Amino acid sequence: MRRFREYYRQFEEMPPEEISLELRARRDEEKRRALSRVDPLDLSGIAWHEPPHPEAVNAATFALRRALNAYPDASATPVREALAERHGLAPAHVVLGHGAAELLRAACAVLLAAGGDALVGWPGWQPLPELVEAAGGRALPVAPTPPEILARAGAGTRAVLLTSPADPTGAVLSRAALRDVCTGVPEGVTVVVDEALGEFDPDGADAAGLVAEHPNLLVVRSFSKAHAMAGLRAGAALGPPELIERLAPSGGIGAPAQAAALWAVSDRGLEIAARRRAAAAAAHERLAAALAGSPLAALPASVPFAWISSDAEDGPAIAARLASQQVFVAPGRLWGDERHVRAALRGPAAVDRLAAALLG
Amino acid sequence: MTVPRNDPTDTGGLFIGRRPGTGPIHYRTPPERGDARRRRGDALLAAAVLLVEALVVLSAFGPQPLGWLWVGSQVDYRSGSVFLGITVAFFGLIAAVILTLMVATRLDHVWRLLRRAAGHDQREGALGRIFMTAAIVAAIAFTVWLVLLEGPAPSVAPR
Repeated sequence: MRRFREYYRQFEEMPPEEISLELRARRDEEKRRALSRVDPLDLSGIAWHEPPHPEAVNAATFALRRALNAYPDASATPVREALAERHGLAPAHVVLGHGAAELLRAACAVLLAAGGDALVGWPGWQPLPELVEAAGGRALPVAPTPPEILARAGAGTRAVLLTSPADPTGAVLSRAALRDVCTGVPEGVTVVVDEALGEFDPDGADAAGLVAEHPNLLVVRSFSKAHAMAGLRAGAALGPPELIERLAPSGGIGAPAQAAALWAVSDRGLEIAARRRAAAAAAHERLAAALAGSPLAALPASVPFAWISSDAEDGPAIAARLASQQVFVAPGRLWGDERHVRAALRGPAAVDRLAAALLG
Repeated sequence: MTVPRNDPTDTGGLFIGRRPGTGPIHYRTPPERGDARRRRGDALLAAAVLLVEALVVLSAFGPQPLGWLWVGSQVDYRSGSVFLGITVAFFGLIAAVILTLMVATRLDHVWRLLRRAAGHDQREGALGRIFMTAAIVAAIAFTVWLVLLEGPAPSVAPR
């Protein structure tokens, strides 16, 4: 009889009050979980953390909707002319490519086709040694100072690869130092400056302005960082025409990328990039203020990342401590450095959380 | 053919993703129904309970009032008090109606459980509809009795 009653009791519905209580309890539990959840914060990459300016997106979208069935302008003449004018060069000195990385790869392939050594300013953009090796050359790390570079440059040297501002330190190679390198290296050596972060240079310090003076200087720039268009894969190289024409991608770059790049090199585009530089500098100041008085310190810079070290612990320990708080950074060992970590500075909230995790 | 009452997006939220009043029945645990034979048996049992429920409700509109009128007349006859007879009949009828509704409610609940056990998505009971139908039937029957059988009809066409 009891089993008989139990069988039918399972078809009883819950009273509405009990349902409400259960739903309320479930909602409270979800709220509690949401409050206690700590979302991971990935600060290991250095792409700009916000979308590009809407006008850049509009420009790319307009090109996308206009004539996607047609081939784009392979020589990207309007963008090259705009870039050349901005740096006081002829358009023949400028080429557009699928991002600065691709242009650097092409430059290594051209300059090191017959082998030879490439002095790589270190620490610098991390894939540079691999690009040199892939091109058939030998990568020799060197401190990015004129005396060091000139002392190491010899008969077997074909290229000097420098990054300014440097990733990961943010250190900027001054124009004077670059002039010394360009004039001091043996004949036949090309100086390549990776200026993917060039818009984060203090005004007027960029190397592109020296291209006209030095026929052995190649400057590679990007639209990925300060213009926040990493997804478009657009970059530019400025240098001697005989080298530039060998770097041009066959067929050019896509029409949306050209349209967005053309907007980026306009006064409005550069104004927006300058705002991002100011935001990055403010983020550095915010981080420095938060770390003041602690064993931790970040190298002063105006790039959107910080090169952080501590007197009390090494780089892996800092990275592990941050990871335990769901903050992930690039370990310095990627550059052979055991004392530092590189952390992207992605706006005030992220900087505050980074600082709290560093000090916690 | 079973037509689903719920939209597929049953989120349980207020008016989000489903029509109001079409939420699923909230069981304490998902019920495990018996085999087809048992479900057929439950369906028959449910029909029998519904019949009993209908008869119980109908009794409140005829047999019970008549029964309490008879009881009242007996009280009047034995006590010699018309007032006492009417009072007993009135309160007895009220008590009987309340008791009937309590029994009918229990039966309706049992009927819902049996229907669910038989495999139906039974959300509402049948008591309201039975009560309404019984009231209409009783009103018609009363009108026929009053107007045609015991009202002016015998005067118009005396037996």
